[in-house]
Amino acid sequence: MDAAMLYALRDPAGVPSHPIIFLVLGVLTWALHIAAVQVMLGASALTLYGAFSTEAHWRRLAAAMITTAKVAVSVAIVLGVAPLLFVQVIYDPFWYTSNVLSARWVIGFIAILILAYLAMYAFYYRNHSLATQPTRNAWQMVVSLVLMLVVGWIMHVLSYQMLLPEQWMSWYAPNGVIDAGGQSLHGYSITRFAFFILLSVAVVAAWLFAYRRYLMGRPGEDAGYIAWLGPLAHKLMLAGGVLAVASGAAWLVTLPEKMAWFATSGWVWASVIALLAAAFFPRLMGSKLDQGLWGYAPFAVGAVALIVVAAAREALRFVTLLDVHGYDALDYKINLDWYSTSLFFITFAVLGGVVLGYLLTVAWKAGQTKGVYTPSPALTRLGNVSIGLLVLWIVQYFAIGFYVWAR
Amino acid sequence: MEYIGLYPMWYEPGVGSGWIVGLIATVHVLFSHTAVGAALFFAYLATVSYRRNQPELLEFIKKYGLFLLIFSYVLGSITGPGIWYSTTVASPRGISALIHSFVWKWATEWVFFVIEVVGVYMIIYLVGKVDRATHLRISIIFGLASYGTMLIIIGILSFMMWPGKPEWFVEGGYLNGFYGSNTFAQLAMRTAFMFTMTAVVGGVVAGAIKDAAFKKEITRKLAVLGMVSTVTGGLMFQWYMNTLPETAQVIFENRLPDWFGVSLIATLGGIFAWFAATWLQPRLLTPSIAMGMTVAVLVFGLWPEEVARESLRKPYVAGQYVYSNQVIARDVPGLDIQSEIPLLEKKGFLPTQVFVPDRLRQVTPHNALEAGRSLALTTCSNCHSLSSTGMRPLARYFGGNSDVAMVKTYLQGALGTGNTIYMPHIPLNDAEAYALAAYIVSLSPSPEKPVVRTAAAPNQE
Repeated sequence: MDAAMLYALRDPAGVPSHPIIFLVLGVLTWALHIAAVQVMLGASALTLYGAFSTEAHWRRLAAAMITTAKVAVSVAIVLGVAPLLFVQVIYDPFWYTSNVLSARWVIGFIAILILAYLAMYAFYYRNHSLATQPTRNAWQMVVSLVLMLVVGWIMHVLSYQMLLPEQWMSWYAPNGVIDAGGQSLHGYSITRFAFFILLSVAVVAAWLFAYRRYLMGRPGEDAGYIAWLGPLAHKLMLAGGVLAVASGAAWLVTLPEKMAWFATSGWVWASVIALLAAAFFPRLMGSKLDQGLWGYAPFAVGAVALIVVAAAREALRFVTLLDVHGYDALDYKINLDWYSTSLFFITFAVLGGVVLGYLLTVAWKAGQTKGVYTPSPALTRLGNVSIGLLVLWIVQYFAIGFYVWAR
Repeated sequence: MEYIGLYPMWYEPGVGSGWIVGLIATVHVLFSHTAVGAALFFAYLATVSYRRNQPELLEFIKKYGLFLLIFSYVLGSITGPGIWYSTTVASPRGISALIHSFVWKWATEWVFFVIEVVGVYMIIYLVGKVDRATHLRISIIFGLASYGTMLIIIGILSFMMWPGKPEWFVEGGYLNGFYGSNTFAQLAMRTAFMFTMTAVVGGVVAGAIKDAAFKKEITRKLAVLGMVSTVTGGLMFQWYMNTLPETAQVIFENRLPDWFGVSLIATLGGIFAWFAATWLQPRLLTPSIAMGMTVAVLVFGLWPEEVARESLRKPYVAGQYVYSNQVIARDVPGLDIQSEIPLLEKKGFLPTQVFVPDRLRQVTPHNALEAGRSLALTTCSNCHSLSSTGMRPLARYFGGNSDVAMVKTYLQGALGTGNTIYMPHIPLNDAEAYALAAYIVSLSPSPEKPVVRTAAAPNQE
C-alpha cells in the first residue's frame, strides 16, 4: 500500500479547519474518554471484589463503585464520540479501511456493548442494598466486565490495524482472492492492550482519592470508612504504577520493527515521568490530601498524565504513518469554514463551560449537603445565564437558518 | 497511477449491510426522538409542578427518567455511535462525506450530548435533594440542550438527502449545505413526531401508576400531547413532501409500493385513535399495551419512513454527489471535488481501485468470473445481494438469463449511460462489462453453472 493509494482514499471534500486542530482535539478528547473507560473498568473490578467480600467496608465500596461504573459507562460513551469523530477527519483512509476489514466485529461491538451495559444495569437493579444485603446475581457483573473487555479489545484492534497498511491487502485478499466477509480481527498487540487496561488500576486509585475527599465533605459520614479508603487508594496507586510501568515496558520491547523508534523517543520518557509523578503524587502530598480541595488533586494530576500518554500514542501513529508510509495527516486539503469552526469553539468554551460549570457545581454541592440544597444567589445567576446561553444559541440557529434559506 | 478512493467492501450475504444500517438507524430514531421529546416534556412538567406546587409530577419525571436511562441513554446512546460504525463499514465514503463537511456541527452536537448526559442524571437523582426552583432550572437546561442535538442532526440528515441550497455545489460552505427548505420541513415533522413517540413510550411508565387520579392526569396529558403531535406531524409530513425535489417525487411515485401512503395514514390514524381512547378511558393504559404500541410505532411507522427516506435519495447516498456504490458522481467546484466518472470511463474500475488484487487488474479469459465478482462487489453489492438471500438479490433482476452478451449489452446500455432512474451511472468498458455479465449469469440457477473462484473455495477451477 503505497502513499499514492493512501492519499487516494482521503475524502476529496477536505477539512474545514487546519488539521492540527483536529489532531490536538483528538488527543485531548481521547484522554478524557480513556479516563472514563478506566474508571469504569476499575470501578467494575472493585464492585466485583466487594460483592464477593463479607467485610463491611468492602461491601460499602462495592455499592458506591457500581453506581460509579454505571455512570462512567455513559460518560465514556458520550466522551468517546469526540475522538471517534476526529479520527475520521484526518485519518479516514486508515480508520475506514481498518473497520471494513473487520466489519462483523464493528457491528458486534454495538451489540456486545449493549449487552455489557444491560448486564451491569441488571446487577445494579438486583443489588440496590449491596452494602447491607447479600450479593445477588454476581455473574451479571462478571459478564458485564468480561464483555466490556471484549469491546475494548475490538476497539484496540481497530486502532492497531490502522498502523499496518502494508498488511491490508493480505487481509482483504489472502492469496489474491477477495474475502469481503469482514469476519476477522487481524492485527493486534496484546502488550499494548494490556498497558491501557492495566492503567485502570492507577486511574481508579486516583478516583478513590477523589471519592474519599468527596465523602469527607459530607456531614455525618462514617469516619472509619473514610479512614479505610486512604490506605486502599495508596496501595492501588502503587500497584497501578508498577503495573503501568511493567506493562508499558512489555509493550515497548514488543513493538514491531517499524515502530521501534518509539521505545526510545522523548514521548515515552515524558509518559514515564508523567505516570510516575501521578503514582507518587499522593504519597508526596501526605496529610495535605485531607486539607481543602487537595484530595481531588491526585485525579487532576492523573488526568494530566493521561493526556501525556494520549499524546505519545498519537505521536506513535502520526510519525509511523508519516515516516514509514509517507502519509502526512497534517497536509489535508483545507476548505476553511469560519462559521462552523467559530460556532463550535464558542459553543464548547462559553456555552459548554458555563452550563457544565453550573450543573456540576450544583451536583457536587448537593452531594455535600444533608437535606435539600439551595444554591447561592451567585450560582443561581449562573443557572439563569446557562438557560440564556442555550436560548441564544437556538435563536441564532433559526435566525441564521432563515436568513440563509430566504437568501 | 491514478486511483479512485474506493475502500474495501464489506459484503454481508444474510440480510445485506444496508438493512443492518437501516435497523440500527430505525431503533436509534425511536430511542433518541423519545428522549428529546421527553426532555422538553419534563421541562413542561417541572414548570407545572413548580407553579402549581405539584411535587408528584417530579416523581413522574423521576420514574420516566429512570426508564429512559435504559431505553434512551443505554440503548440510544450506543446505537447513535452505532449508526456511525455501521455506515463506516457499509458506506465509508458516504459517512466520510458527511463527516468532512459537518465535523464542527457534530462536535457542537457533542457539547450538547455531554450536557444532556449530565442533565439526565441530575433531573432524576436530584429530585427532592435540591430546591424545586433549581430542579426546574436543570430541567429547562436539559430540555434545551436535548433539543439542540435535534436541531443539529436535522441539518446533517437533510444534507444527506439534498444540500440545503443548490449554491452549495458551486460555492461550498457549511451554511449552504446545512440550511434549506427541506431542513426546516424535516425539523418540523420530526419535532412533532418526537412528541408522539414520547407520549407513546411514556405510557409504559404512566400505565404503572397506582394512584388512579394521578394516572388519569398523566395519561390525559400524554394523550393530548400524542393527539396534537400526531396531527401536526401528519401536516408537517405534507410540507416535507412538498420540499422534495422532482427526482425524489418521481422515485416516490414509481419506486415505493402503492400501499405506502395508505399504511402511513392508517398508522397515524391508529396512533391518534389510541391516544383518544386513553384520554377517554385512562385505565386502558397498561405498561404491556403501551410497550406493544411502542413496537407498533417502530414497525409500522418508523421502519417504512426510514426505508422511504433511504429510497428517495437514490442513487446517491450523501449530498447528491456520492453514489450508493461509493463513487463520486459529480463535480462539486465549491469544495474542489471532481467526479470520478471520467477516470472510470477512461481506465475502468479494476485498474484504478486501490483494493483490487494485482492479478485482477486486467480482465483475462482465465480471471473473468473473479474479476466480475470483484466488480459486482464494488458496483452492485451495496444495494444488491450477490446471493439468493438478502437485499434485492442481483440475479433476480436478470430473470435467469444465461446469455452473457445480452446481459453485457444491458449493463453498458442501461447503466453505462447513466440514464436509468434510481440507478447510478456505472461506466463499464467492454472487458469489465463482459466480466461483470459473466459473473451475473453465473449467479442464476442453471444446470451448468459457471464456476467462480471465491474466498470460500479459492482453488476451485
